[in-house]
Amino acid sequence: MTAAKSLLFALALVLNVSSGFAQTAPLGDPRTMKFEPVTITVPEVERVVLENGLIVYLLPDRELPLVSVSAMIRTGAIYEPADKVGLAGLTGIVMRTGGTARLAGDQVDEELEFLAANISMGIGAESGAASLDLLKKDLPQGLAIFADMLRAPAFESAKVDQAKRQALEAIRRRPDSPGGIAAREFRKLLFGADHPLGRESTTDTVSRITRDDLVAFHRQFFAPNSLILGVTGDFEKPAMLDALRKAFGDWQPQTVALPVLPPVTASPGAGRSVNILRRDLSQTHLRIGHLSVKEDDPDYFALALLEDILGGNSFTSRLFRDVRSRQGLAYSVGSRIAPGNAGPGIFMMQALTKGPSTYQALSSMLDHMERMRQEPVTPEELQLAKDAFLNSFVFSFADSGLIVGRLMGLEYHGLPKDFLQRFRDSVVRLTKEDLLRVARLHLHPDRVIILAVGKDNDFEKPLSAFGQINVLTLKPGG
Amino acid sequence: MAVIGLVLLTGAAAVATRSANALGLEERVAQHRLANGLTLLLMERHQAPIVAVNLTYKVGGVHEHNGITGVAHLYEHMAFKGSRTIGVTDARKEQPVLEELDRLAEAITAEKTRGPAADQTRLSALRKQFAETEAKADSFVVPAELATLYQRHGGVGLNATTGKDLTRYFLSFPSNRLPLWAAVESDRMANGVLREFYKEKNVVLEERRQRTDNSPSGRLHEAFSAAAFQAHPYGLPVIGWPSDLDGLSKARTEAFFQTYYGPANAVLTIVGDINQKDVIALVEQTFGRIPARPPSPPVLTTEPPYAGERRVEVEYVAEPQILIGFHKPGTGHPDDEVFDVIESLLSDGRTSRLHKRLVQEKQLATSVSAFSDYPGALYPNLFVIGATPRAPHTAAEVEQALYEELDRLKKEPVTPRELEKILNQIDAAQVRALRSNSGMASRLGYFQAINGDWRETFKRRDRIAKVSPEDIRRVAAQCFTKSNRVVATLVRPPKQEVESKP
Repeated sequence: MTAAKSLLFALALVLNVSSGFAQTAPLGDPRTMKFEPVTITVPEVERVVLENGLIVYLLPDRELPLVSVSAMIRTGAIYEPADKVGLAGLTGIVMRTGGTARLAGDQVDEELEFLAANISMGIGAESGAASLDLLKKDLPQGLAIFADMLRAPAFESAKVDQAKRQALEAIRRRPDSPGGIAAREFRKLLFGADHPLGRESTTDTVSRITRDDLVAFHRQFFAPNSLILGVTGDFEKPAMLDALRKAFGDWQPQTVALPVLPPVTASPGAGRSVNILRRDLSQTHLRIGHLSVKEDDPDYFALALLEDILGGNSFTSRLFRDVRSRQGLAYSVGSRIAPGNAGPGIFMMQALTKGPSTYQALSSMLDHMERMRQEPVTPEELQLAKDAFLNSFVFSFADSGLIVGRLMGLEYHGLPKDFLQRFRDSVVRLTKEDLLRVARLHLHPDRVIILAVGKDNDFEKPLSAFGQINVLTLKPGG
Repeated sequence: MAVIGLVLLTGAAAVATRSANALGLEERVAQHRLANGLTLLLMERHQAPIVAVNLTYKVGGVHEHNGITGVAHLYEHMAFKGSRTIGVTDARKEQPVLEELDRLAEAITAEKTRGPAADQTRLSALRKQFAETEAKADSFVVPAELATLYQRHGGVGLNATTGKDLTRYFLSFPSNRLPLWAAVESDRMANGVLREFYKEKNVVLEERRQRTDNSPSGRLHEAFSAAAFQAHPYGLPVIGWPSDLDGLSKARTEAFFQTYYGPANAVLTIVGDINQKDVIALVEQTFGRIPARPPSPPVLTTEPPYAGERRVEVEYVAEPQILIGFHKPGTGHPDDEVFDVIESLLSDGRTSRLHKRLVQEKQLATSVSAFSDYPGALYPNLFVIGATPRAPHTAAEVEQALYEELDRLKKEPVTPRELEKILNQIDAAQVRALRSNSGMASRLGYFQAINGDWRETFKRRDRIAKVSPEDIRRVAAQCFTKSNRVVATLVRPPKQEVESKP
């Protein structure tokens, strides 16, 4: 707690704070060692809006002769048509591979790889992302290709076909990965198999996608006023702004209407939902959870700290210490809270355990979840969670890419730019009573969705004790 | 410090693509050897008040044999349980309980190994006693005390890896907490205690189920390595055979620790906001107190030469995969860099030969990759190519196409532009590596442990620059032959067996 108070958020271009320790520090019991709080000086990041609405964050960092440009684009798979699930992902892939007006896709690769320059491009569920990373000397060439790809990708037919075939093969191979099955099925249960946040591509939806669909998807969402750029590395701000204006300045803005996300109705239900997906495996993939808060929920910070104690922190969390270290039931066990942005967030616990200990592992995890609601965490647990958060806070500012990337993400999601500082200040003040209150309000062990992917014949006890069992099946091509 | 850094780097930028030591590593990295043999590497980077440490021990799966497979990795898990002072309420009272537990475990193993003649009544009595004693041992445990100490002080990324050649422990933390780390870590090196040993075996067995037993590629890799090496321990699984893990005694594990975890077997790399002089003093004061141990015994077994293709099939309900390996020399051989160049030519990036031919043009595979030091680097090993066929194409078609590309290497000289591209990639990778304290610590420590010299990070580049098209042709012709290869494919089991169980 003392560490937090002295964290310094001065806006200055000082990248360097030395914090040596006394040379003759007597090394006694490490449990009683005390240290000066960690102070950090966060460099000022400049935000510029170009005439066409393109937002640019700039943070020079001259340590190495490298430049990085990252981009976030207002789009996402949640906006693709229901009968063409997979379209957003394919659009991102072929923007990268399918060439530009000036260069064929293969020429782009030749040129970039010869320069050891990296460009990545992808569209996820709730955003698009792109990045350029190269040696400073190659910036003009690299930036031109990067801008061409974002603005006017050529979508060569051969590359569209290739990306589709790859996507279809990936669908064929889905059953090979039990973890992948568990992840996709769990999302379907949480959000509904037809909801944009829960659905998955199938052989049918991918086969239906044409080159024209990619062109149209790109045209619908890619505009300068939908883009946030972040530039870090070895450059002078005025020269960089000139280069960006040259690359993006004549790109005309357009109105981008984001489709409205339908409400989630699939969960939570009135009681627990117990689901088994039978696979011939010697280890069960268990997922337990329910929908949760959005990132801007005032309770999110407390919930995040609570979740660190329950299963988020490696080695020291309750789930790790009990289910793994004490009972020896799992190698992978933990919990996670993923706050929502476009839609609701997710709270979940997961473990992989051998078939004959499935019931025991599940039962223990539910008990731990319930205990968070029944009694306050111990003062020691609260202090450790706070200290771990506050003393590692400096790692959120470890490099310029992290600092700029966070500002971009916050702006994208409409969160305040001092979000992280608010998070820290809030954590300092949290009490065990606060954690108990949010546990009671936001954890619902009586209404969780349980998913077990594995061989239920091997389970030591049937899972029907937790609720009525619903047997799921994997559809071929889905 | 920042000013000096800038001066060095500004000078470096202009020659970044020409000189391998362009970033002034020679001047920035300090090496120090303790009297007990521990090697310390230090590099100052003052971008943020944080530091990354990487403690690499020259021990791994290659130091095992059948009967004790998995011991190096299991020990790595045990190293998080604490020491004689950390993780325990009263080590003196704990010790006799742990010893009693070991006696019971050995008795259970002895009874079990009698097979069908085992006395079941005695076994269940022993197991009951074992469970009671284990509960007693638990009462002395302070759970996760080591990790708690690190986390409370802002430690992040606490973890470790065990490979064939090396076992590596690492984390990052605010740099002013170095004394805490030095106290804990030197204690862990000197005073390892095998606490919660039997439970952790179950954790490792779960890890094995996750990585190997229920993973198509995990099964394929295990069978592939076992087929490739009939004598050398590179053929053994690092995670261990399940029966070895089950039977592994604490005495064998303790002996393994005493043999291989001496300070002379360790390379300690620290990168970040440090003052080199202060850190050397701190390490001398802590790790320096650890007595030297006798040198660990060398790996004696070498793979006998043989000729003849080996093929294995792994039956599993999954889509096909293929691994092809060719025997080749280990680290230090004059052709080392030739293999590195071939690896890049074949599979680095979208313009690499295998990706272009198999994934883009023929579209036989969804992915293909090559590794020049499989499954370890230190000893004679394999050049491996792995691929996932794209339906309806088969593993056989992919295999044929791969051989055609390898034959091209034997016949057509590689173009200068391809070689220049590889050098450009290496030069840029050297610069990018400096972005991260932990990445740099890992890199320096790796080369120090494997090659005996951290300067290999850039010396290697100069040797790669000397590799000629003729070298590539010669090495390809020598290595990529049918009689030198091992092939493993993942195939579906015969139909009737699939349908018998849900």
